[in-house]
Amino acid sequence: MMSLLAKWTRENNELAFNCKQQNDELNRDHNNLFSHRRCSSDFHKLLRKLQGIPPHSDHAQLELSVVYNACVCLTALSHFEEAELLLTQAAHRVLELAGEDRGTSDPSVLWRAALKSVAGTALHRHVLSLLCLQWGIWLAKSCLNPIKEFQEEMSLLERQGGAVWDDCRTEAKEKIPNIPRLVLDPRRLAELLKICTAIVQGAERLNEGWNTLSALQAAAALPAPRALIAYTHLLSGSCLAHMNRPQMALQCFRRALETDPRCACALYQSTLLYRQLGNVQAEIQALRILHSTLLLPPTTEPAPAAGRLLSPSLFLCSQSLGSLLSVPSALSVLHSLALKCVIHDRVSEGVENYLDLLAALRSEDQHGVTANTLTAHAVVSTLPKLPRLYLEAAAALLMARRPADCMALCDEVIGTILDLLPDKVLLEDPEDGSVAESREEREEAESGLVKLLWAAAAYLLLGHCYAQQEDWKQAVTHYTRCFNLLVKVHCKNNAFSPQVSAPDKESNQGVDLCVLQRLKGISLAGRGISFAQMDRLREALRDLHLGLQALPEGVSAGQWCGEVLWRLDRRREAAACWEKTWSHTCPPLAEALPVYAQELQSGPLLDPTELRSRLKELGPL
Amino acid sequence: MEKSSSEDSRRNAHSLSHGGKVVLFTCKPDPGADGSERSGLTFRTFYFEREGNAFVKATEGAAAISRKLAARMDVVTCESALDVQRRVKTPFVLVTKRSEKGGSFQYSLLTLAGSPNRLEPCIEFKLPYQMKGKVRILQGPTVLWCHGNSAFYTSPLAAGVREVPVQTTRWLFGELPIHKGQLFALGLSEPLLTNQPQSTLGYFLELGQVFDGSLILPRPYLCITQCVRVLRADGEGDALRCAVVAATSQKQLVLFENGTVRDTCELPFEQADDVQVVNTGRSGCLLLVLFKQGHVCAVWKETFQIACCWSEVSSAHVGDFLGCGTEQALLLFGGPGFSREPLEKFLITDLCGISYSSGQDSEAPKTSLPPQENSLFTLQALESRLQSGLNVLQELEREVRVKDRVLQQSIQVLAEMLSGREAVLSQPEQEGLVALWDSDEGSDGETLDDKMHETPATSSKPKADKLWHRITGDQLVVGLILSAESGLPASGVSLSLLTEPGQSSPAVIQSRSQVFWLPARGPPTPTLPASSSGRAFSEPAAKRSKRRVAGDDPEARRLAVTAATELAPLLTSGCVKCRAMLHYAEEGEALVPESRPATAVQHCGNVSVDVHDLCQTPLLQNPQIRSDEVREDLLSLLTVLDHWLFRIDSPDYSLGDVDGWIKRREGFKKIEVSPEHLLLDSPGCSAPMLLRWHQINPFQGNLSIHSSQLQMLQFLDSMLTYLPDSCSIQPVKCTTRQSTAEDFASALEKEVLSLREGLSSLLCGKEEEESNKGRTGHEEIQGPGSAEELIRCRREAWQQNVEKSRVRLSPLVDAGRYREMIKSISKVKMDADLAALQQAQMTGQLRC
Repeated sequence: MMSLLAKWTRENNELAFNCKQQNDELNRDHNNLFSHRRCSSDFHKLLRKLQGIPPHSDHAQLELSVVYNACVCLTALSHFEEAELLLTQAAHRVLELAGEDRGTSDPSVLWRAALKSVAGTALHRHVLSLLCLQWGIWLAKSCLNPIKEFQEEMSLLERQGGAVWDDCRTEAKEKIPNIPRLVLDPRRLAELLKICTAIVQGAERLNEGWNTLSALQAAAALPAPRALIAYTHLLSGSCLAHMNRPQMALQCFRRALETDPRCACALYQSTLLYRQLGNVQAEIQALRILHSTLLLPPTTEPAPAAGRLLSPSLFLCSQSLGSLLSVPSALSVLHSLALKCVIHDRVSEGVENYLDLLAALRSEDQHGVTANTLTAHAVVSTLPKLPRLYLEAAAALLMARRPADCMALCDEVIGTILDLLPDKVLLEDPEDGSVAESREEREEAESGLVKLLWAAAAYLLLGHCYAQQEDWKQAVTHYTRCFNLLVKVHCKNNAFSPQVSAPDKESNQGVDLCVLQRLKGISLAGRGISFAQMDRLREALRDLHLGLQALPEGVSAGQWCGEVLWRLDRRREAAACWEKTWSHTCPPLAEALPVYAQELQSGPLLDPTELRSRLKELGPL
Repeated sequence: MEKSSSEDSRRNAHSLSHGGKVVLFTCKPDPGADGSERSGLTFRTFYFEREGNAFVKATEGAAAISRKLAARMDVVTCESALDVQRRVKTPFVLVTKRSEKGGSFQYSLLTLAGSPNRLEPCIEFKLPYQMKGKVRILQGPTVLWCHGNSAFYTSPLAAGVREVPVQTTRWLFGELPIHKGQLFALGLSEPLLTNQPQSTLGYFLELGQVFDGSLILPRPYLCITQCVRVLRADGEGDALRCAVVAATSQKQLVLFENGTVRDTCELPFEQADDVQVVNTGRSGCLLLVLFKQGHVCAVWKETFQIACCWSEVSSAHVGDFLGCGTEQALLLFGGPGFSREPLEKFLITDLCGISYSSGQDSEAPKTSLPPQENSLFTLQALESRLQSGLNVLQELEREVRVKDRVLQQSIQVLAEMLSGREAVLSQPEQEGLVALWDSDEGSDGETLDDKMHETPATSSKPKADKLWHRITGDQLVVGLILSAESGLPASGVSLSLLTEPGQSSPAVIQSRSQVFWLPARGPPTPTLPASSSGRAFSEPAAKRSKRRVAGDDPEARRLAVTAATELAPLLTSGCVKCRAMLHYAEEGEALVPESRPATAVQHCGNVSVDVHDLCQTPLLQNPQIRSDEVREDLLSLLTVLDHWLFRIDSPDYSLGDVDGWIKRREGFKKIEVSPEHLLLDSPGCSAPMLLRWHQINPFQGNLSIHSSQLQMLQFLDSMLTYLPDSCSIQPVKCTTRQSTAEDFASALEKEVLSLREGLSSLLCGKEEEESNKGRTGHEEIQGPGSAEELIRCRREAWQQNVEKSRVRLSPLVDAGRYREMIKSISKVKMDADLAALQQAQMTGQLRC
């Protein structure tokens, strides 16, 4: 008859075997939660049997192995509390076996005592592997202090790891049935924990402003899964970026990508760095790669790390790391890519990107799910509101001389929000209005203003479209509609006059007011130009003057104002007007303001050289 | 004070359930004596009345036990047990009287029998001590108790007090529910030797037989078991099979089946006193665990989960109190006032719909457990049921999958039949197997050709720096270091040995030549050999491998050429002096890629071998030395030892510090003259081992090993434990001395195999036909009539057999198939002949 020990060992070994096998089978469908749960409950049941008798040295190896197996399964399920309870219990029983349980509750004291009591016996490596699990649980719970406290034991574990676990392997190889099997090689666990600890500690210290470069570079040489090695490079890069070494940081990000091509966060960090360096072309390139990387189907988690049982993400849940690993969603990346292209003279590319973005949004609307939620990286959504996206796309289409498409988009925007427009928006001086107005009212006013601006911008773009098609009458109509919407905004405090040139970046309202003012200026200028084209010069002059008043740096308004004056035979004034306009440099498109609130140079243009020659004919003032 | 009085009342008021009634035994104080002395025993029986929701007294009676006044009487215990003589379950009560003088104790077992019930004495016995600890009344009736290290029992049959003939420190009593009824006692056996583990010892009281008690309760549990109940048992003796529940001091209820732990249940209380089984009919069985502090815990037997817990219970009974056919649990609650109003507070329940209670706050929770914990237990029970359901579901799903597959296959076959095609399943497919390989024959030719397009650098006449020789193992290694200026390409260079011209005519000594790069200046480090292995004079240039260590400038490095040969034939043939000849590709000719580069030969010097040179090489003695001798040692080792090169590739898990791991291994020493090589020369191993690890990136590396094959395998095996599981080790190339021999062996093996397979397939076809024929023939031999008939049949059968074996010895086979087989075999044979020829040439050359 088999002894109890042999039976239990066999039960453990069967469970461990099943657990491994199920894990291998189910890993393909990403659905091993259930099998883990089952394994952990089975192991727990076995453990209850084992712990139903007083600790005995014959059973201790098996018992500790079962505790280890049960805790690995519990950890895989993120049931850290239960696992920790089992571990503490096991440590107490180890002490009980040695007859020196003093009932301490401090975990570090407990583990030290447990390790000491088994020093030099075969149980030592079992207790060490349990401590290893405890380490993982500390790590998962972001308790870095006890880990620091046990640094010495961990390194001991690391150092003698090879020899100790080699023994273990050879024992296991001898095919003796009463060697309890483990579901996970403790050495692999230690390896995984070591690199995870290095990464988490690196991120924490980086957050605190320390230089952790050497530690991170040492971590990069550890045996670990690809993705984790990539993280160490990524963190080194971030560290270097903090130390103001952008080129070296970029090298590190590149190495991270070479190591793990799916390391999207490295790409994202590089785009941020390129932006900081002002390298637009590289930034656009990086954004494009980032976007295509994010579109890749989520892999079957490349985590053969700890025998696929424990995913590294279990241990990488520190907050400071999370912020470093966060990556915007594919759509917001696509948006910034499109915007970048449009602003930096790659209009046709930008248009394509915008159209892709809109199509993606539409299909996502239908399916209702984001494809990228499965990725391990935190997804940051910085996507603007839909009407704004439409308007930006429309502006891009206009710039690409596709007025018909542009008009379709603008019509859609107008059709959606026209009914929601407020009759009147009353704005208050943000400095002193806080007392008088309740929060909701202000929010309502703000949202009203935003909608109004969208509608106005849509009309403005329509006006531009007609102007581009030289349908001046229609252009005038739409510019007028735009202007009519804009004058619905009133400022309560007369003294509070919106600053035009410098948008106050801190408050939304500041930006909105700036946009309002610009839209006014541009629409008036557009109408003026249209009038000028229709030879209604007086009205043209009036509108252009008003436009210049609203937006003094308006280039086309200035030029056309001069042109109209010239035609009215007020040549000196015209010359002055031109000179003044030329004294402003034509501002490039900026990211701070919506594209549609900037001068797109889409309308009829005047040839500056021709104007200059005219001026020359006029002679000196 | 209160506690003691309650205990007192408990000691003197005992209750049991019998036949759906509750029987209370009380020792009445003798009216004649003062209040503290008791000598009369009274009993009362109660039955439950549903209408009144109360227990109603049925009978009452008394018995005077002691005629002597002032003899103090106590109830020891009462229990229902099987009366073997009357074959009915009967209530028994054991009372004790202490005689005046002390010293001896009078015990009597009384039974409640007859109608109307009367107390009748059953056994009387005297003991010189008072019974302490647990006393059981089991079937028989048998009274069991322990005293000291011994267990005692008595019964009407046993006639007097008997002692169990084994002594242990701890005893457990129980009965097996088998038809004959077996009373057993379990104890720890004293080990015969001190280091022998203790085992559970069982003793059947009726049979007086010792048995293996671990069939009932495994040893580690014996010491911690507080009470035990056998649920079911069959078989006898050592073939005993039983299911047992035991409550342990580790706060667990454990279910054993045939001596193994089947399930455990954590109990919420300590100090279990008794386990009873409630058979609630269709809802299954409940296990009622009674605890000393008045707690009771009900556990479902099927799920082994806690169903309910109660506290402040004075006693718990099992029986059919309602008379409904199934059993219920009766819990009597009560503190000190118990004896006055005995059955006032009670609960009858089976936890499956039946619940009668009285004297209890209906609002008050029945359990002492916090409700949360209680619901947790319920949840656990539900979960376990759910899980078993899930298992069934999964099994069903698996079955459905199999059926689906079968259906699909049948549909496919049907469809193909309809469309006129015949579905062809290959043999392996039918067996669900996949062919391992498709035979494809060598494509060595191209690679060989490629190697010939090596473009050698310009060269003048090579200049030899130094000629040296070593005896390493059983081989002679002759080495030549060429000066850097000679600038020979490694591909065309080899060294061969000729016998001394003094004897008849110079003959070629069979040797293997290898080429190594050495740096011209600085520390001399032989890098990976751009080696070649081949016979001298047999196309030396054709077999050159074009491996060259990239990155270094070959111009700035020196070449070392070595030739190794077996020492023994050299010595036996008396040749102790030989000439070293350098072969190299001549300039110009080699530039034309199509032509085979013409080789030039140059005599570089003479080597004289002395048998007394067999001394230890300085390298093996101290690898830290940096000298030319050490380097030569290293070169000769590299030449002599078999060489393997492995590419270690771990695509998704970095390799870590492999170098460090190798260095940490015992016995590996760094070689100073070539720091990238590690030397293992442990005294246990026959040959030294040279290792070189070159990491390409964190996920890839090259490992080059110079050693014997066994050592290499051992090393790789130990290395596998270090490397990640997902990594692959691929041999890039290996050079061993036995290559031709191995080729020959494998060719022979192939020949034998193909011969066997061809023949067996040929004969099998034949056999089948034969057996078909045989079967039809045998059908005649049916129903033997007379003896002659029988003999005739036998003879015929025998003749058939003879015929068959004759045919088998010289079988007739199909000519076409035979021809085919012969063709294929001759092809294989030709290959083997070629290999044999090569091998013969080699040995022949060696001989000369």
